[in-house]
Amino acid sequence: MFRVLLRIALLSLRRRLSRSLLVIAMIAMSLWGLLFMEGLYDGMTEQVIDNAIRSDSGDLSLFAREYRLDPGLERLLAEPAEIGRFLDEDSRVRSHVSRLRQDGLIATAHYSRNAVIYGVDLGAEDRHGRLASYLDAGAYDFGDKGRGALLGARLATKMKVTVGQKIVVSAQNSANDVSALSLRVVGILKTNNMALDENAVFIEMNKARELLMVPEGVSQLSVLLYNKEKVAAVQQGLRVRFPELDVLGWDELYPALRQGREMMEIFNLITSLLVFCVAGLGIFGVMLVSVLERLREFGIMLAIGTTFREIRTMVFVESFILGFSGYGGGVLLGGLTLLYFYNFGLDLTMFSAGLDAFGMDAITYALIRPSYFFTALAAVSVATLVSVLLPLRILKKARPIEAINKI
Amino acid sequence: MNSSFLEIRKISKVFSPNKNVEVKALSDINISIHRGEFAVLSGPSGSGKTTLLNIIGGLDGASCGDVLLDGIAITALDERQLSHLRRDHIGFVFQAYNLIPVLTARENIEYVMRLQGRSQAECGQRSAEVAAKLDISELLDKLPNQLSGGQQQRVAVARAVASKPKLILADEPTANLDSKSAANLMDMMQQLNEDEGITIVFSSHDPLVISKAKHSIVLRDGEVVANDHVG
Repeated sequence: MFRVLLRIALLSLRRRLSRSLLVIAMIAMSLWGLLFMEGLYDGMTEQVIDNAIRSDSGDLSLFAREYRLDPGLERLLAEPAEIGRFLDEDSRVRSHVSRLRQDGLIATAHYSRNAVIYGVDLGAEDRHGRLASYLDAGAYDFGDKGRGALLGARLATKMKVTVGQKIVVSAQNSANDVSALSLRVVGILKTNNMALDENAVFIEMNKARELLMVPEGVSQLSVLLYNKEKVAAVQQGLRVRFPELDVLGWDELYPALRQGREMMEIFNLITSLLVFCVAGLGIFGVMLVSVLERLREFGIMLAIGTTFREIRTMVFVESFILGFSGYGGGVLLGGLTLLYFYNFGLDLTMFSAGLDAFGMDAITYALIRPSYFFTALAAVSVATLVSVLLPLRILKKARPIEAINKI
Repeated sequence: MNSSFLEIRKISKVFSPNKNVEVKALSDINISIHRGEFAVLSGPSGSGKTTLLNIIGGLDGASCGDVLLDGIAITALDERQLSHLRRDHIGFVFQAYNLIPVLTARENIEYVMRLQGRSQAECGQRSAEVAAKLDISELLDKLPNQLSGGQQQRVAVARAVASKPKLILADEPTANLDSKSAANLMDMMQQLNEDEGITIVFSSHDPLVISKAKHSIVLRDGEVVANDHVG
């Protein structure tokens, strides 16, 4: 029974082949665009977030209570080793790294600027967040005597310093005196984390302790996890274990990025709605014309014993064939496009100046999330269902004999 | 043969093209048709033949009165029950053939049987058998638009007969055919009536069709003016 209805549906679509193909192509192209945009924009957003996580915040960061409100050397994590041991025992934690941070000044013979001095262990930073991968010029090394410094790319540009040049960094030490250190620029880092690129001067941890007269304690302990979905649970565990500390997620440290991600979700939803409308209107147009054109044919079918339910099934089958063919085509095109840009990235170097301003990488790698395909499937399914309601209503009202007489 | 199979009791039909106009198409029709009869509704155009056939087949409703088909009150059935009644018990032959244009002749013939849920093998066997009787075996793989009017009408008859309905309603089946095709068709339908024992009710004003009938009902202005059994 269903086979004969399916056959009629298929033959009817074939009878209006060019119209059917046009709708299928329209749905496929809209889905292609939707998937491409979703994957690319999400890729951009997630790259920015990933840069911030890797270069600074980690999935979680621990600070002394109220350090974020008033950063100073009197608010340090006093027992980083104890926290480190606790983290080492947690199988969900992939890595953690400590940093000593102080606001200060960077100067050359010609220029001076505010800067943020970071005392770091470069090896640990690279194992933690692959900091070395951000190296834009020079070497990822502080030199034998630890007298080298790595500068954020924008800071280096503004200071007009290049690799090999001398700088002087100065800051208030723990005795409330000003200390200074003469260093040589060994490398430039371009993290696309604007906070770092604009201000950061990375120096060796021991040099920072010497400069700031801080023999122990750190400002920040950054933690990376294996599974991002465990962030809330680990955060809660750390808060219980170390109630005297602030345990903050990346989204609390970079609220603008979280808002950017939320905006992107809204944007994707709007794009899905547009595809829903395009698919819905396309199928609606074809099915409406198809039903009106075939009222007589449906009348004949009703007259010789086909129930309205069976005809409704046939109309649904036709519209779902259109919708799902378009979906299949769109998913194939979109999926392959995303796969390409997932592997090779989209080179937007020509817009790099603009992208830099937003902390975005010049090469954007697309994301591929199953949710894209499920959302698109839901949009096409709902559009397909809704689009045949009016044609079916017209059909329902038509009595067989009236429909037959519509010649 | 003589048991009452189709009872039409006090059927009236009034059309209202608009609020102020009423057209009485049928008025107080009472007819009884026996099982296996070859009956014809005749009369001039506008006499109400097609309207009465449509009411008998459940394609249109009556303003009042009852139609009993083998004891089933058609006028009391809802749309779904009517669909099932038409599918299982009534075969239709229309003046304009009304084949499903995207299906081949074979698929058209098998269509009602497929709706009934019969197996492909059974449908194939039955369609071949009916096609042989109606001399359309060579046409089974053709689409309706590849057939002549007479051939299409024979396919339509085959579709009506194939599912072995209790009743065939044929609305002026020869109206669009030339006299030779019309005569052939009538011979075939008479043969089917005799072979399969199916009750057949025609509407026609074609003397050839009327001459074949065993029960002649004449309508004029929506009323029965003659109701005769022949032979």
